[in-house]
Formats: sequence, structure tokens, C-alpha cells
Amino acid sequence: MLQRATALGLGALVISALPAAERIFVSEADAAVQLSDATLQAFADTMLPGRKVLTTDLGNEIHPLAIAGVNNEPGAVQADALLLYHDALIGFDALEAPFLSELSARSLTHGGSFLSLGFEQRVEVCLEGLAPSNPTVLVWEAAAAVPFTAFLASAEQSEATIDTSSAYQVMGYPGTAANGYGEFSYKRKLSTELTKHGYLA
Amino acid sequence: MAERVDVCIVGSGFGGSIAAFRLAELYRAAGETPSILVLDHGPRHQHTDFRQSMDVENLSRIYGLVQGEGVQIVVGNGVGGGSNFYLAASLRSPSETFERRDHRPEDGPDRRMWPEEISRATLDPFYTRAERALRVQRPTWKQVAKSGGLWAATLDRAGHTCDRVPLAIDLDRCIQAKWCHTGCIYGAKNSVITNYLASAEEMGVEVRPNSEAELIVESQGQPYRYVVTAWELDNDGPEPTRQPTGQSFEVECKVLILAAGAMGNSPLLMRSRPALPSLSSQVGKHVGINGDHIAAIEYNEQKVRELLRLPGFGQTYKGNHITTMTYDFWAGKAGNERDGTRFTLQEIFLSTLPHILYDDGRAPSGEPSWWGLQKKQALSTFNNQIEILAMIEDTNDGEFLAAPPSGGAIRPNAGPLWVGLFNYSPSEQTVRAGEAADSAIAEVLARAGLGRFMKCTFRSANAAHPVGGCRMAESKDLGVVDHQNEVFDYPGLFCMDSSSIPTSLGVNPSLTISAVVERACQLLIERSADYGLPAKPAGFTAGVPGVHLGPHTEPIRRTSDKAIDEKVRHYEAAFP
Repeated sequence: MLQRATALGLGALVISALPAAERIFVSEADAAVQLSDATLQAFADTMLPGRKVLTTDLGNEIHPLAIAGVNNEPGAVQADALLLYHDALIGFDALEAPFLSELSARSLTHGGSFLSLGFEQRVEVCLEGLAPSNPTVLVWEAAAAVPFTAFLASAEQSEATIDTSSAYQVMGYPGTAANGYGEFSYKRKLSTELTKHGYLA
Repeated sequence: MAERVDVCIVGSGFGGSIAAFRLAELYRAAGETPSILVLDHGPRHQHTDFRQSMDVENLSRIYGLVQGEGVQIVVGNGVGGGSNFYLAASLRSPSETFERRDHRPEDGPDRRMWPEEISRATLDPFYTRAERALRVQRPTWKQVAKSGGLWAATLDRAGHTCDRVPLAIDLDRCIQAKWCHTGCIYGAKNSVITNYLASAEEMGVEVRPNSEAELIVESQGQPYRYVVTAWELDNDGPEPTRQPTGQSFEVECKVLILAAGAMGNSPLLMRSRPALPSLSSQVGKHVGINGDHIAAIEYNEQKVRELLRLPGFGQTYKGNHITTMTYDFWAGKAGNERDGTRFTLQEIFLSTLPHILYDDGRAPSGEPSWWGLQKKQALSTFNNQIEILAMIEDTNDGEFLAAPPSGGAIRPNAGPLWVGLFNYSPSEQTVRAGEAADSAIAEVLARAGLGRFMKCTFRSANAAHPVGGCRMAESKDLGVVDHQNEVFDYPGLFCMDSSSIPTSLGVNPSLTISAVVERACQLLIERSADYGLPAKPAGFTAGVPGVHLGPHTEPIRRTSDKAIDEKVRHYEAAFP
């Protein structure tokens, strides 16, 4: 059940989740930047899993443990989800520390850091965090919306095409099409029509 | 010292641009230069500025994605408003819409929701006027998109009818790229920046972008009636903050036309209430989403070939966004006892983004359905999926809670994601109608045997068609404006846009908003001298705005799609 985390509602979610974020105790152990980025990538891979690769579409580094590799198609990490997490136009940075703090705390009850967990354990952690009964679910939904937006919209690429966006390759979506399409219609009548002009009286 | 104009218009979407054009015609017919200023809080767009891209920077420039409690609403940002990004379906609303009596019990007595002067019959001449201005044409079957054709064939196989949808698109110029949603790069789509507004500017109307109206007070200097305070926004330049610059100005006017849309007018009036104490208590209430209710279908390509004898599918990405819809769940349901039960079902391509919302139902119980491995696999059939927009009869279930410090929503940063101070809580009728629409789609699919229904999973609604908040009604205790779109108790103050629409429409709203504003303009012009504007000259008639295209590259539409279709197939095969 999709909760409020629509891809479109992402930034507003980020803002509305701030009060919930304040309820999460922030541990200093999560301060390491590289580890936090790797953990965000691992979370993105749990939302939209992908094949194991070491660089994103835009050539950015992927932590070797981030992608679990349970799907043989490119996933959200390859679609530069991490770049979108840190995009000032989205504003997720304000939620990052409290989100990662709770993610880490929940991961420990499943056997270790989120990054060290197998895919099934990562899913268990996320099912807990994204449960409607979790008081901080809004923070998790905001965190979930980022990889979806990075993937579905190729949101970090200007005028993305199927040649530049691995997500579009998965979806079978050509992207930018400045010359459009010639063979866009079946070119025949396919149903009876109720009205004369296309609208009711 | 405030600058003085006869007419100040706040907002430049369908409402503001039509008002600017019609009043400019009046001035020209009277031999005068228009004294009309149009303010818009967004940047100026030419169609040549648009890009076929959903990157965050582009979205920040052209959209506001406003998250309220319980609903998220997409609005156009910039001169031309929503008309730049609409999908151009241009339909007259069925007669039953204007006769509706259903509403929430706490929303006043049993009554007709629209003022008695407004009906389909009284609007028809103005629909015609708007259709001419927006160059509405109905696609032939040879112009219907494959996605729309598939919906038509599916309905046909299930024993239903399906109609082609009239579009405000120059279909000779259109390249069928399915990129209306970020603005037509060739100007083939008839947005107001290529007709009404451009023609108004040609006649001498001033359009001032990056100017956000924040406050209205009454003027003491008759015949001037209102003073608008506007803030300048930093929208242009290499790294715009999209926040107020600190500069402001005042405009004093005889006639003030609010056309900032359903997301803009209510906050502006609520903020101004201390200075306009006689405003209706209904300001900001009864905000609807035009009954938008979305779902999707995943087709089985093999069955499409076998059962429909169509040459495969897998080509969601081609053709116009909207080309077909069925009225079978609306037609034959006349009479007020059927109010709240009707809906239409339209094939639509919103963009790639809403596909986060659709659940194919394959995830086993206890496993995640809207994220995770199953969701990922569902996205790989994207190009065999179509979206269906049900437009149901809802009960305008939203309400603004407060006005933000500036504008219609809080802009937390320079990005596209804004926070609206409104809540949306669907009534039982709204929920029931949505469920009926879902069932109808699922039943059509079951009968046709062609694919899988994908329910929109949400606890927050998503919509692109906000209406109401300053709705028209018979009296001030029930609404904010009268049937002439004039605010009760404030002569010369108008809401001419979607905010005045009191119900959902069963069809995409742009043409009805246009017709209502065309009518309001004609009625204003009939009594223009009363407001200190030029008197209507004898023999004055409303004209048709020209088509204004910017400097541009002529569109060249691909003649064969073989290369791109093969490339799509290649990538599908690359990930077995």
C-alpha cells in the first residue's frame, strides 16, 4: 500500500517529515559521510533493486556493498538516486541524519549495519520503517520517494534518452523525442462512438 | 505611490489570459490603448524555452508540486499557467454537471450547486467561442494514439462505446512525441501564450512576470477600487532562489480580476480578509480535484495480438497523451437521484512519474507491493501499460486552512516541491464513486480478457485539476462569487478561473473554465462603463485571437519509427 510517498510529493514530504525526524535520536556513530552515502544507496537498492554495478549512469561511484544484486536489470542506485538525495532542489539533506539513525538502529536488531545485511533482512528493516504504525513513517516515505523519482523521471539527467538512462532502458521508454513518432496510430476505427462531436449533450 | 491601471489581472493561465484578451478587444474597439496589467508570480516562458525533460531543474522552472494534507496537486508555474502543461483535451461538460444537487450534508441546504443562470445551454455559445480561440479539433481515427486505440478496442471488445477526444492541438504541426506535460517545444499545442495572451500583448496589454500578488486592500481614490501589493520573485538568472527579492510594488485599479487559480486565489483572499471584511465565509472552502481518480492497465501483448488482431503494442510512448474516452458510465444517468454516481474513463499519459502509484497486485501477502523486487519487475512492463483517468462526481472535499506568508504555498527551497496549507478528506460519496470507477475498469478488462488492472495505491490523492475555493453560488452564504464571477459585496473584484468552478465536471476542466470566463467577460463588457472602463461601442463583437509562434525550428516528424522501436526491443532483450 503506497502511503504518502508519491514521487511527486517528495520535497513536500521532506518538509512535512521534519517534525517526525526530530523524534529520532541521532547517533554520532553515523557521521561518516562515505558510509552514510553507501547506506542511502543500499536503501535505494531495497526500494528499486538492481544489478550489481560500480558506477552510476552519470559516472558516480557506487559502494561495492550497496547493491544486493537481486535483480538483473539496472535499479535506482544506477539511476543516480544518491545524487538526488543530495540535490538542493529536493532538500532531503535535512532528513538524512535522523533517517539513517533510525535505519541503523532497526538494522542492528536484524544482525548488523544496514549495509552488511542481506537483501531479505534489508526488506524486513524497511517493512518496519515503512509500516503505517511507525511514528516516523513520513521520514521513511520521503526517503523512499527519492529513488523512485531518480528512476522513473531520470530526474538527474537533462533530456534523458534510452541511450543515457538505464531506467528508461528497463522501462522501454525512449525519453526525449524531438522528432516524435510517425507510426503512432493503428490508423483504424477501433470502437463504436456514442457522441457526434466527442462530448455529451 | 501606486501605479494606476484600469484593470489589473492576477495570473495568466486560461482565466487571466482570456480576460486580458477580451478586455483588450474592448479598448481597441473603443479606440483606446488598453490600460491592463497582468501579473504572474512565475517566470515568462516562450514555447521555444520548453524542454522534453523531467529533470529536477526543469521541473523547478515550470511546475509547482503542492503537497497538502491528503492530496498533492500539480500546478503550472509561469506565464501561461496550467495551459503550458495541460494535455489539451478540450471537452464540453455534460448537462448533468450543471444540474447537480449533491453535496456534503454540512455544505448548506438542498439546492442546485451552480447558479441558475449557468447551464450547459447558456454556456454553449461560450464553449464555441473558446473552441475557436484554442483551435480545438477532433482527431480522426488515423490520428488516435496507439495507447488510446488500445483503450477503444478494449472497451469495444467488452461491449462498450469509446469516443475520440477533441484536442486543442494543431495536429498537422504536432510531432506526436507525448511530451505535452513539460510544454510543447514547437507550439503545436494551443497554450494561451500562443493565442489569447500573445494577442492581448499585441494589442498593448502589459504582462509582468515574477510578480506575486500578496495583498488586496480597497482604494480610497474613486473610480479606483482596489490596491494590490505585489512582491518581486527571483525566478530568472542562472541560479534563481524562487523566493521574494525584497522588492515590492503597488498597483491601483478600477477592476481587479483574480485568476491565480484554485491554488492561488483562496490564499490571496484569505490573507486580505482583514482589509476585505465582507468577503464570504466560504473563501478557501469546497476545493475539489475535478474528481480525478487514476489507475492503470498492464496489457498482455500476446493477447492484444490474438484477441484484438492489433500488431502488438509496447508503444505507450507514442502519440497524443489523451485521445479516447468512454461515456458509458455517465450516459443514461440523468436525474438528480443519479448525482454522485456518474464518471467517465479516459486513456491518458500523465508522465512516467505516476507509475510509482500503480500496484500490479502480484506481491504475495506480507511482502511489499509499492516498493521492492515485485514493484521493480512491474516497472519493466511499463511500455505495455496505459493510464486511465476516471473523472468522477466528487463533493469538492478540500479546504484551505490558512494562507502562507506569501503566495499560494510555502516554497521551502528553489525546487518544484511546495507545501500547501490545505487538507483534503474525501467524503463517502467521493470514495464510493472512485471505487465504482475502479470496478468498472477491472470489469472491462475481465470481459475483454486482455490485461491486468493496476490500482492506484494511496492514502494521499494526486491531481492536476484543482477547482473551487472561491466557488460561484446563488448567494454569499453559499459561495464567494456570483454567476458573473464577481465577488459578493465587492464590485469590480472578480475571480475568473478554476477557483470559481463549484463541482467536478466529468471531463478535463480547461474548456469549461474558458467558457465560464468568456461568459463573465462578455457580461463585464456589457456594463464596462459602470466600472470606469471604455463603454462597449455599438456593433462590438468578440473576435478570435491569432496564433503567435516564437522564433523556432520547424518540427520534423520522424516518418519511420523502426530504429527507435528496435532500440526499445533491444534493451528489453538485454535484460532477460
